[in-house]
Amino acid sequence: MATVLVGVIREMLEKAPAPRNLFAPFRLGQIFGEPGADVQQRAVLMDALTAFAHVGTAGAILDLPYRWKRTVYRDPLARA
Amino acid sequence: MRLPTLSRRFAAGLDTVTGTVPWTPASVPLEKASVALVTLAGVHLRSQPAFDMRNADGDASFRVIPGTVSPADLTITHDYYDHAAADQDVNVVFPLERLRELAAAGRIGGVAPRHVGAMGHIVDREERRLVAESAPAIARLLGEDGVDYVVLSPG
Repeated sequence: MATVLVGVIREMLEKAPAPRNLFAPFRLGQIFGEPGADVQQRAVLMDALTAFAHVGTAGAILDLPYRWKRTVYRDPLARA
Repeated sequence: MRLPTLSRRFAAGLDTVTGTVPWTPASVPLEKASVALVTLAGVHLRSQPAFDMRNADGDASFRVIPGTVSPADLTITHDYYDHAAADQDVNVVFPLERLRELAAAGRIGGVAPRHVGAMGHIVDREERRLVAESAPAIARLLGEDGVDYVVLSPG
């Protein structure tokens, strides 16, 4: 079973890294986004899932480039 | 706000974990993978016992959450972060509905039958219980379900 961790406190990821780590620059208690913001939540979740294919180094931390409401999130369900 | 400050202070007081970071290769294509969520945000079924907030060491027990659960049947017990947003929409800490949508669209193979709600902010005696008992039990039950990938999220 492979694992990925999504966190909002970077210091925790640095001190106790999971095999794959995503840092979301979001508020504590809103790791996947805002209430009702389905596209934002799906985008962050999909980022976590695609890390399984892209991360090859144990303990690596990916910094998500999001800026909360100022980012236009790409819906993983939208057709390219 | 008080609660984020508290959690950041908790992070600052953590010891750095030494040793090798474990690694399991991701060998299954995402489109065929069974995916489970494990949250430390204190999510559990309304019908299940609440986490014990009276123990200063936290509560290392965990709750099994069915993959078919309705969000209306979930609640949160966790005094160490502000879960007002998650009380409105549990998907902000436990995005099970989003996972189902990705499965319905064929982006993942499937939603695991069982997911896990636990608590963060665990220290000392409860931390030892988490490592010795709860974490292996969680891994065992997800393994029994044939889960390929797990998305972990603290509060």
